Amino acid sequence: MRGVFWTVAWVAVLVIAACGNGDSGASSGFTSRNQWSIAGQEINVLLPYKIPERFLVEFTRQTGVKVSVNVTNWDAVHSKLIVAHTAKAYVADVTEFDWSFTGQFAAAGWYEPLEKVLDPALVGDLSRADSAFTAGGHTYAVCYSNDYRLSLYNTNMFMAAGLREFPQTFAELGPAVARLKALGVRYPLGIPMAATEGGVTPWYLLTVAMGGQLFDQHLEPLFADPGSAGYRALQFEVDAVHNGWVSPGSVTLDNGPAFDQFAAGSSAILLASSPGNLPTANDPRQSSIAPHAQPALVPGVRGPGMTFGLPEGLAIPVTAQHKDAARVFIEWWMQPDNLRLLYQEAGMLPCRSSLVASMATSGELAGGSVLSEELAHVVPLFGQGAPKWYGQFSSTAQGLLNAALKGDLSVEAALRQLAAKARELAGS
Amino acid sequence: MGLGLLKRQVDTGGVTSGRISRSVDVAAQEETWVGMLMVAPAVIITAALVIYPLAKGFQASLGSADASIGGQPRLVGLGNYGDVLRSSTARDAIVHTVIYVALAVTLELTLGLIVAVALHRAFRGRGIVLAILLLPWALPSVVSGVLWRRVFDPDSGLLNSALQQLHLVSHPHVWMASRGWALVFVALVHVWGVLPLVSLILIAGLQSIPEEVYSASAVDGATPLRQFRHITLPLLRPSIAVALTIGTVWAIKIFDEIYVLNGTALNTRSILMEVYNTTFINADFAHGTALALLLTAVTALLAAVYAVAFGRSPT
Repeated sequence: MRGVFWTVAWVAVLVIAACGNGDSGASSGFTSRNQWSIAGQEINVLLPYKIPERFLVEFTRQTGVKVSVNVTNWDAVHSKLIVAHTAKAYVADVTEFDWSFTGQFAAAGWYEPLEKVLDPALVGDLSRADSAFTAGGHTYAVCYSNDYRLSLYNTNMFMAAGLREFPQTFAELGPAVARLKALGVRYPLGIPMAATEGGVTPWYLLTVAMGGQLFDQHLEPLFADPGSAGYRALQFEVDAVHNGWVSPGSVTLDNGPAFDQFAAGSSAILLASSPGNLPTANDPRQSSIAPHAQPALVPGVRGPGMTFGLPEGLAIPVTAQHKDAARVFIEWWMQPDNLRLLYQEAGMLPCRSSLVASMATSGELAGGSVLSEELAHVVPLFGQGAPKWYGQFSSTAQGLLNAALKGDLSVEAALRQLAAKARELAGS
Repeated sequence: MGLGLLKRQVDTGGVTSGRISRSVDVAAQEETWVGMLMVAPAVIITAALVIYPLAKGFQASLGSADASIGGQPRLVGLGNYGDVLRSSTARDAIVHTVIYVALAVTLELTLGLIVAVALHRAFRGRGIVLAILLLPWALPSVVSGVLWRRVFDPDSGLLNSALQQLHLVSHPHVWMASRGWALVFVALVHVWGVLPLVSLILIAGLQSIPEEVYSASAVDGATPLRQFRHITLPLLRPSIAVALTIGTVWAIKIFDEIYVLNGTALNTRSILMEVYNTTFINADFAHGTALALLLTAVTALLAAVYAVAFGRSPT
């Protein structure tokens, strides 16, 4: 009887020990190319955007690898990755890797460096875009969406209001909005202001568009001073709420619903849009304003302002179960024809320099000249790359900026608290 | 007869009783082992699924905050607990949660009692009414949050639309913008989902009270109000304790409704949302776990207080 008891106890100890050793992921790298045998494997991909089904079907037909894509919103993807990677648990074979993840995820060692694994020609073609995913000499992701911020406007509404051009400065924006309001556009501006990542992005954009930066080269916050661009940017947003330029509900609106309102004709200007929204806004199946959406340079102080890049990449976690198949999937994704398809059907602006140049020349890029011109205004939000504490900074900013926009905090108090938090994070 | 007593009795005998004594010893030991073996699965499962994670959580709460983002892991002791209690965001979240709990529990018990008293006697169509009553409880809280979002939406919500049609407001109101209104509306959405369960618990409690008690008191001249005060309420105490505990624990755990209605905005953030934000958005598992363990301790304490307060027999 005692023997039985100790056997049970020993098994229990083994079970608990096994539970405690939660490292289910493979820590090994990749197989050399001539030893591949990936047909029949199934990979999981975690992304914040839908991928055309035929894109996936074609990949399976060519490689024999089945792909299962899990799509959830950007904030949820971020949370899922943090939870899974902290637990050293498998989450997917290929995942979203936003520019803002770089500092944090690289420091934690959650992803495989890709610079020596991928086709060197591809790495070279992506070198400019992939700098956002580089930390400590390693590149952790391959850019699939050359995202940055520009403005979209409804040409129909502008013509009806007698506006021939999109305002180039914030001084010109006010009268333009007033004319649109007089025309009957109740809330001409669309700016997401919810307590989400999408809700703080417009503040980042307005800060650089107004000629400023969030941090100096020593990561000292620059936005708490009332004369700073960051301060004026938040004041602009608060005024936009008070003046009725944006709908009152904007304070609970994320970027997806803000675009939906623009595409439904509820607002005339989407101030901080992704270029990928343009094909969707001009697709009559998805937008009631098609084909009247046009891109425009983000307004500035004395002329068009600066904007910033938010490139998104594909990356392979160290816990991935089918790393070779994941690598093949990423390389296949990056083929020019596939990038064209993804631009046309999913609005993902390619990152490959050679392809963007060829698409701009051939007229395949909607609003190509504006898109190219805006690309010349792109500045990095963090000159030295996103710091590892960006997630905490952004999360704090989401709450504080939203509180200021709702009137629970003054602009001064919100930015003072945010600056204090940034200093604490940078000093820790 | 207990084994100890039997053992003492047989020990008074001679050689024979010595043999009996040894065989009783063996029997007692075997019974102990069998008992331990029987409870072993429960102990092992509890240890693996509850105690081990709690211990790991406590261990994580004593570590440095940046360990999960590449920092050197180091022991900071109970400092993380002090940090979270000093954080103004966490303090606000605690205040919001206390307000949610107070509003939710008060409304759930009051309305639950009214619904239970109204529905515990048989009447025509009672089954249909009960089925309708259960509907909000059957819905996942995310779904009820989405439904209510259509009501509170500032631009196209039913509430603003109705108030404007009735000329009660001149322009759309952003219900989730002001802290006071937002907390009340979030609590109401939560109550809408939990009220059916509380009502069911109280209906079950009412149906367990013998009808004879009411008949006897009626003979003695008790009015319905006195019956309610001196019979119904005291005999309903165990059910009220259960409803109160469930209502409190669920209100402390409020998350989905807030997330759907107002995201992680500071003006409605609950303590559990603060735990989520700290842990899964900021990747600060040390402070997040410290806050979660404090919340667990408070919840357990409240449940114990309810159990003691309502566990006494009615006088």
